[in-house]
Amino acid sequence: MAAIAPIIEIRNGTKMFGSFTALADINLSINQGEILTLLGPSGCGKTTLMRLIAGFENLTSGTIQIGGVDIANIPPERRPVNMVFQRYALFPHLDVFENVAFGLKVKGMPKEERTERVNRMLHIVQLESFANRYIDQLSGGQCQRVALARALVNGPKVLLLDEPLAALDLKIRQHMLAEMKRIHIETGATFVYVTHDQDEALILSDRVVLMEKGRVVQVDRPTEMYAKPKSLFAAKFLGETNIFETTITAVNGIGTTARTSSGIQFHSSETLTKKPSEKIAVSIRPESLTFQHKNPDAQSAECVVDDIVFMGSRSFYTVRLNDQSKVRVQVQRDGRLSVPSPGDKATIFWDASNVVMLPRD
Amino acid sequence: MLLRILVWAVLAFLISPLIVIVLFSFHSSPALSFPFAGFSLRWYAELFNNAQLGSAVMKSLTVAFLTSVVTLLIGTTASLAWLRLGKVGRGFIEAVSVTPIALPGLFVGVSLLVLFAQAGLQLSTLTIVISHVVIALPILIVAMKARLALFDPSLEEASRDLGASQFQTFRRVTLPLIAPTLISSAILAFAVSFDEFVVTSFVAGTETTLPMYIWSMMRRTVTPLINAISTLALLFSILILLGAWLISHVRRRSAVAARIES
Repeated sequence: MAAIAPIIEIRNGTKMFGSFTALADINLSINQGEILTLLGPSGCGKTTLMRLIAGFENLTSGTIQIGGVDIANIPPERRPVNMVFQRYALFPHLDVFENVAFGLKVKGMPKEERTERVNRMLHIVQLESFANRYIDQLSGGQCQRVALARALVNGPKVLLLDEPLAALDLKIRQHMLAEMKRIHIETGATFVYVTHDQDEALILSDRVVLMEKGRVVQVDRPTEMYAKPKSLFAAKFLGETNIFETTITAVNGIGTTARTSSGIQFHSSETLTKKPSEKIAVSIRPESLTFQHKNPDAQSAECVVDDIVFMGSRSFYTVRLNDQSKVRVQVQRDGRLSVPSPGDKATIFWDASNVVMLPRD
Repeated sequence: MLLRILVWAVLAFLISPLIVIVLFSFHSSPALSFPFAGFSLRWYAELFNNAQLGSAVMKSLTVAFLTSVVTLLIGTTASLAWLRLGKVGRGFIEAVSVTPIALPGLFVGVSLLVLFAQAGLQLSTLTIVISHVVIALPILIVAMKARLALFDPSLEEASRDLGASQFQTFRRVTLPLIAPTLISSAILAFAVSFDEFVVTSFVAGTETTLPMYIWSMMRRTVTPLINAISTLALLFSILILLGAWLISHVRRRSAVAARIES
């Protein structure tokens, strides 16, 4: 892949609110044209980071550059970014057309050009027939699209989206995610997307920035972050996983072996820098566990089936190991395979490639 | 069913004094009780030939107008500050602005009188207006605060984000959104001032407002003129409310119409 120029550069960004550290020493480059997600639990600093880029807050120390220019002294109205607010913040005294035209109007664009650009943008978000509606006459999904259009019509270098789907229900949310991807391709703008919803992050992003307590924990492509989390927090926050507390028994050229106190053994093909007898956490995703072993090298553990939740194409099993710890197993529906029933004894299998060893928090 | 009867009963209780007053303002006889003798406009005729009354009405209108303008200016700036303040600042403004509502009018009247005397201010229209502002301002701030609490500050941020300066944001977003609140608050201040009596009687000096004139008239004898005055006052308030409603409604309509034509 060709080297991509960063559109936003944050260097040593620290933000204090009184004695509370909202952001601690953030270093982040945002690439031209990508969809970057700031993901984390509420209070992790993701919204603060976005408000810093928009200009509603100022860094306590450090710098933010947009397109190579330090923006510390540039007020929000002169920054080349636009924001989609969490609850849209659409102007209730203006109709859809006037809302979208607002940014162009205050910049003094002539009326004809303005009308043309607004109409083109309304076409992109498929709201041409709603131009004369007031905001209180729109549905949640329509408001969302007005907010997108109102921001994008200004041709921002970066579009900031603050949990834009949080106020919508599930069905519309999925539809809007697809819409957003389409609009991203059509406009070519860089999207910085704040969310606490891991599904949105996985579906939408080119890269995910995982944040916790004011720090960046990991920056990666969604598939990488899901398959290779670098911390227990990342493993738990992104998707569902089973965590085992283990002690390392061997580290050598073919990988690392660790064992729980009840004797279940895990082998990873990665060679860690840890030494035997050190404690380590093992993470295995529910879909990486099976009741049938296909691989002669598969590792295994005995268990008893506790409970089954049927979800159509797949089922979630809760099984109990010998040490009484509970493990979740996801089984894809397949009529050719026989599966255990509640109360049955069974064996769960996994491959070394799915064993992720993580430092304990 | 029971609830419906109750609603009608409450409405009747609230409206029946108004109906009686309006009815008897057209009574052909000076009697203020039933039986109703017949219709006549004699009280209105008498009203319009009463020069003293006329000047009292003019005085009250002037005072009420000045009071609502001054109160609105101070109240709006205080409310805008309130929107931008944190919890502590808001609490302070609330405490300071709301306390005067609880003070008895007698007390406010006497203290203002003493204050004016100490400041060497002649009792005049000016002192009446100052006193009315003191009375109306807390009421206006309480009324505005309730409405402005619904104002979403992210609307101002959105405006800045879209390229509007602070001044443009005020003119294009904040002001249009709070305008209905401002208008209704100004009307409220006008109404408070228009019928204020207790405090006014302390600080009016030789001036006579409408409530003071009615009071002096009533001391001699209860005349049906009162009904006519009240009816006109009622009509006046209805017209103001109607006007306020029309202003906000027509503006919204015309905005749409203008663009559909273009």
